[in-house]
Formats: sequence, structure tokens, C-alpha cells
Amino acid sequence: MKKFLAGILALIMVLSLCSFAVAEEPITVTVFRGDPGDQPTDDNKIYKLIEEEFGIKFEFEFLAGDLDETLGTKLMNEDYPDLFDGGNSAEKLINAGALINLLDYMSEEKTPNLWNHIAAIKDQIVNENGELFIIPNYGINYNEQVVNACNGPAFFLQKQVLAWAGYPQVKTLNEYFDLIEKFIAENPTDANGAKYEGFAILCEDWRHFCLINPVQHLMGQPNEGEVFINRTADENGNHEVDVFIVQDYAKPYYKKLNEMFNKGLINADTFVMNYDQYIAKLSSGVVLGMFDQTWDFGPATDALNTAEMFGNTYVALPLVYDESYGFGAISEQYLNGGVPNKDRGFGISVSCEYPERLVMMFEELLSDKWQTILQWGIEGEDYYVENGRLLMTKEQYNQRADATWKMANMAATIWESSPKKQGLMDDGNAWTPGDQGEILMAFMSDYDKEFLGKYGFTKWADFFNAPCELAPWGEAWQIDKAPINDDYTDFNSIQDKWLPICIMSADDATFDANWDAFQAEIAPSAKVYEDFMQEEVMKLVNK
Amino acid sequence: MTTKAINNKPAQAAKRKKIWRTLWDQKYLMLMSIPVLLYVLFFNYYPLWGWRYAFQNLNLNNLKKGADWIGFENFTWLFNRPEFINSIRNTLAMSTINLIVGTIASIVLAILLNEVRNKAFKRTVQTVTYLPHFLSMVIVVGMAQNMFMSDGPINNMLIAAKLVDSPVYWLGEGKYFWFLVAIINVWKEVGWNSIIYISTMTSIDPTLYEAASIDGAGRFKRILHVTLPGIKSTFMVLLIMNIGHLMEAGFEIQYLMGNDLNIDFSQTIDVFVMKYGISAGNYGRAIASGMFKSVVGIILLFGANFIAKKLDEDTLL
Repeated sequence: MKKFLAGILALIMVLSLCSFAVAEEPITVTVFRGDPGDQPTDDNKIYKLIEEEFGIKFEFEFLAGDLDETLGTKLMNEDYPDLFDGGNSAEKLINAGALINLLDYMSEEKTPNLWNHIAAIKDQIVNENGELFIIPNYGINYNEQVVNACNGPAFFLQKQVLAWAGYPQVKTLNEYFDLIEKFIAENPTDANGAKYEGFAILCEDWRHFCLINPVQHLMGQPNEGEVFINRTADENGNHEVDVFIVQDYAKPYYKKLNEMFNKGLINADTFVMNYDQYIAKLSSGVVLGMFDQTWDFGPATDALNTAEMFGNTYVALPLVYDESYGFGAISEQYLNGGVPNKDRGFGISVSCEYPERLVMMFEELLSDKWQTILQWGIEGEDYYVENGRLLMTKEQYNQRADATWKMANMAATIWESSPKKQGLMDDGNAWTPGDQGEILMAFMSDYDKEFLGKYGFTKWADFFNAPCELAPWGEAWQIDKAPINDDYTDFNSIQDKWLPICIMSADDATFDANWDAFQAEIAPSAKVYEDFMQEEVMKLVNK
Repeated sequence: MTTKAINNKPAQAAKRKKIWRTLWDQKYLMLMSIPVLLYVLFFNYYPLWGWRYAFQNLNLNNLKKGADWIGFENFTWLFNRPEFINSIRNTLAMSTINLIVGTIASIVLAILLNEVRNKAFKRTVQTVTYLPHFLSMVIVVGMAQNMFMSDGPINNMLIAAKLVDSPVYWLGEGKYFWFLVAIINVWKEVGWNSIIYISTMTSIDPTLYEAASIDGAGRFKRILHVTLPGIKSTFMVLLIMNIGHLMEAGFEIQYLMGNDLNIDFSQTIDVFVMKYGISAGNYGRAIASGMFKSVVGIILLFGANFIAKKLDEDTLL
């Protein structure tokens, strides 16, 4: 009898264990994020929901120190987390074979959400061997791409300069610098007596795009990095790729900067500033203009808004060369169609024990229900619904900017690196609260409302032409340059060194001499880079 | 000093017995030195095994598969890069300047403090001068950058004093870089480095000074003939050690203050390794240049020691 009972007990235990394993056995997943961040609180409400539904708990590690060094060490020691976000150097993880091919776990039947998510851009993001290691964390739009403002590259100008000039339309490089020059001539210092600086150029490290990228935009192209790509193919179906810094049309821009430098509108210190010093300077409100990307100086915008220095915040302008430069009438095209953020986001490492479950988790998180939870929060707590529109009170909207609140009430770390829905829901609401028109308008400062009103605009993107269709190669800066690493490093170092020298030339003759010396030095690595890019772009076109 | 203790030559057996006896007598001392020995073995000798990578094409793409042996290719690559040769020059120049300027500054400070009779003043100056040693280089460089900006205090003072007409572009022009590094290093380390000289000076027998003054030596004569000879052995030991470190001009200051404009003068071997080796994921090259640095460092150290021996001075090894 005893034996029988014991047998039954054992059987029950085994059965219960089995059924427990079939229903989700709770697991802890280690996560690495390739940028600095804060640990969420233990009782974070969204992570709690995820844990209840999927039985998955996260253990986060954030970047502390240099990204390339950290990744190098992790790869060397094969110390992989389960979910691996390599930040801006994720190519390293792929090249080192640290990630699994997600397509092995995805199919139309099993993971319809993920499958449909990438269906339209599959050719772009899957590599030559038919593998996909990372699903882009941003840039996949549903229904319609929402463009309320320019989030990428543009020439920026303090709003007060435009207000002072009576809200003119500034469309060309010459108009832009003329305006800055006139403004400074009449207002050399701000209210506190600090001297205005006309134009700042951040040159530090990878942020040197502020120095080397503008020419392509002046020629009417969206951001392809350091190359100009002919959007119309020649008779052989070939899209010509040119490194633009060695083209004739690059020189006038730097000549213009040289002219501005000699007029005292550019401070020589701008070439030796690091990012923090740059942000500090912008935040103080003395820099009238710069070429940059909106997200890059976000902290300065926040600081200026907090200090209620609205006139010192920036408006993005799409400038081009005017016809006097001899390149014809150029139509600006700064905004590009939704750009999938290729190879950025979470990959699943080869040492992860439950890849299947994690893929299924991403699949579920991509459902409408979970996307609403991740992006908007909990209805009634974080947002409310009125006449079918998702809305927020001012308090609800502002608390989303509060770091402490975020740690307890949003799953930001997971959300940011996971595949996500952007654009519009089927019912017309925006997937991201920041894209919801009513919310943007309701919480815009009075200064901004008035400013836009003067132009007859309703949103900042009205300064720009509509986004163009994304080219088959995506945006060319995303192409991994690892195979030509040495030449690419040279290519960049030579520009970083020579362009400031050219801009600081004392007179025209010196400028020409410096420019020629620069062209001679950069020619070999530019050639290698150009050939490489030509090949890679055509590979993507012919996919 | 220890060589003199065993100068009498006993018979072989007695000597061996004596060694064992000494060992036994010093068992606790030796026990205590075991952790240090382990530390050195693990952290200084064990990593040498990694030098094999200097002869492999180890990079991110073959981390898993394992790298191939490529002989001296990494070294050939390094020595064919003008930037690498340039960075050797910068490293040696900056460390030599630092060594000379730094040593002179700390000896002068030590002598000055040694001559001060007011205890309170001496203590205050000493504390004030060595406190910067504890600041992180990031902070020091940040402060220096603000000081040397085009519209910073240094330039404003120079213009006010009518020494220059327009601001000097300290941070952007390469020719000033070595000088800036020397100044920053002196400011940060002079107090700290002078401590050892000050302590050596306090151990000089005061009767020597008395005898010198009885012989009619003034203050400068006493410094010249008593103080300076008194710190000579310390000076030699430090010099030999520092010469061994000539290939280490520092990394932080050049990495933080270097920029694309002064790169021809600011890029040291370490910064070069960071850029072309570690950040680019070419570990083989990074290790090859590290190895080159160590080997040259060892040669310099033994060379300096050998010369010091020839000159019949106190030696380190």
C-alpha cells in the first residue's frame, strides 16, 4: 500500500513538473545594452506584467565605459548575455559569430507578427547568406510614416534669429549665413553680455558627421553618410556612387566656412571641443547655428526648454546651394522614407538556452495589445481614451520625461531595443505618443505655437519637403565598413585633420593650397572607400 | 648592502646549511611574501603568454575560429605606418620632456621647502602642491582645456599684458602640445614627486650642515655641497626607474586632450594602439605594439643601469 501511494505521489510530482515545464517555466534572461542606462525598479509595473504573462524576468547590464572596448572584451571571453544589444557597433557581434540566425526560429505560421513586420524590408536586412541576426529596433512604419519634425540632419538656427528678421524663409546656404552675419552685427552679445558665436562645428570622434556630412544635403540628397549616390540608374542599371568630399561641389561649402571663419563668425575652439563642451555651449544659448542631427543635441534642447529660453532653441532648416554656385537649381531632400535601423537592436546570443522562447516573446510583444502597453502604458493610469483617440493629460505626458518615474512605470530598456510598431494604428492613432498630433499641439510652448503660426505651419516638418521613398540600399551609411577598416580609418582621419585646417586658412590663396594638399592626401583612401561602397550598394540594389 | 653581510667565505657545506637556516628563520617573512609572488606571477608573468597573439592575425572575425600564425606581419604593418613612427617620436619626446622638467621641478620644490624654517608655511605649501595628484586626469584636462581656450583666462591674461596681439590657439596647434602636457604634469605631480626628495633631505645628517657653515659655506654653497650630494642616490634610483618607463608617456592626457588638429604631436603609442588596434578589433596589432613597447622599455632600463654602473654610481639592479 505504502509503495503504491509513494508511486502515485511520484507520478503526480513528475506529471506536475512536466505540465509546469510545458506552461512557461520561469526563467531569468540576461540582457546587455550597448549604451549607458539605469536599472528599473524591482516593482516596475510593465516588467511585472511581462513576468506574469511570459514567465520571463530580466537582468540588465548597461554599458559603462567605451563601447568598442567592452564589446571586444566580451567577445574575447565569450561572455555573452542572452539578449545582446551591441549599440552602435553591433556589426562586431555579427562578425564575431556571437548571435544566432533569427530566421531559423521565424516562419509565417509560427511568428506572423514578426514575419509581417519585416516582410517589406526583408531583402534589405537579410545578409548574403540569408541570415538575419538583428531585427531593426526602429524605422518600420505601419500604415503611414508620421513626420512631425526633422529628427535627423539639418542646418539649425536659433528661433530668435528668424524672429528678429521677421520670419523669413531661409532656403539656401548663402541666405543662412547672411542672416547670421547680420544678426551678430546688430546683436554681438546676448542679454547677459556673452558673445554670440555664429556657427559651431562639432568634430569629436564619430560625431564628426557635423563636419563632413553637409555637402550631400546641400546637393539635395538625404543622409547617405560620406557618399553621393545617383538615384537614377544608368543604362546598365548601375547607380553611380561618389565619395563627395573629393568632388568639385564639396569645395564651395568649406570655402564658405572659411569666409565665415575669417569674419569671426566661427570660433576656432569649435574644432577642439568635445561633445560635453559642445552641449554646454549650446545650452548656454550663445551658438546661433550649426549643422547637426536633432537627436544629437537633445540634452541642449531640453536644457534650453527647462530654462524657458525658447528663443534660443533651434529650428531645423533644409538648406541647399543656390544657383550662383553653378550646380543648377537644387531641390532639397533632407527627409528620407522610414529608414529601418539596420543591425541595431537586440540579437539573441549563441549561448542563450531558450532562443525559441525569446523569439516567441518578441512575437507576442509585437502584438497590438503589447505594443500599446509598451508605448502608451496602462489605460486609465498612463493615458485615457476619448472618442477613440488615445490622449494624455499634461501630467501624464510630463511624467514620461521624468527618469525616476520611467524606471518604475515603463519598460524602456526592453522596448527601445526590441522590434516595435511605428507610424499609425489601424484606427488612426499614432503608435508612439510623441507622434500623436493632439498631444504634440496641446503641450507645445506658446512661443513655439506663435513661431509656427507666423509661418502658417502646424508642425516643424512643414519647413521640409515630404520624405522621399527609401532607396533599395537603405541609407548607405549603414553599410558595414569592416572589410576596409584601415582605409576607412585613414579616410576619416585625413578629413578630420584637414577640413579644420582648410576652414581656418588665413586667405583665399592659403585655402586653395590647403584644399589641394588635402585632396592629394585623401585620394588613395577615398578611392578604396568609393570602390567598396559602389560594390556594396549595387549588391543591395540587385538583391 | 646585503652583499657585505655574506662577504666572509665559509666552507660549501656550512654555507648550504646556513642558507637553510636563514630560510627557516625567515619562514614567516617568506610566508608573507607568497601573496605578492602570486600576484606577480598571475598579473605580470601569466599575461606574457598572450604575446603569442602578436604573431597571429587575431581580430574580431576570427575570434572563434582561432587566428592564423602570420609571423612578423603585424610588426611590418606597424613600422610601415607613418603614424606609428610618429607616435614613437611623440611618446619619447613627451616622456623625456616630462622626465627632465618633472624631476627638476620636484627637486627645486623640495630644496625650497627644505630651506623654509616656518613649519606651518612649509606644511601648507606641501599639502597644496601635492593635492592635485589625487585629482583624476579627466578633471585636470577639463580644467586645462578651459584655461587654454581661445577666450580662456590664459589668453585673456596674455592679451591684457600685451604679450600677444591675438589669442594663442593652444589646443589646436600641435607645436604647443608637448609644452602643455609638461605643464599639466608638473602642476599635477610636482608636490607628490617632491615628497621623496624632501624625506631624503630630512635624513641628511645635520652635522654636515653645521660643519659646512663653520667652514664658511653660505646657503647656496650648503645646498650645492650638502643637500644635492645627499639626494644623489635617490635621484639615480628614480632616474633609472623612470628611464625604464620612457615608452610610457601616459595615455589619459593625450587621449583626452588630443584632437584631430594636434594629432601629429599628440598621438602616443598607446593612443595609436587604442585607435588602430583595440577599437578596430585588430588585437594582434595592439599586442604587437605593446610587446614592442615592453621590449624597448626593458632595454632602456638595463641600458640606464649599465651606464650608471660604469659611472660607479648606486645602481638599482
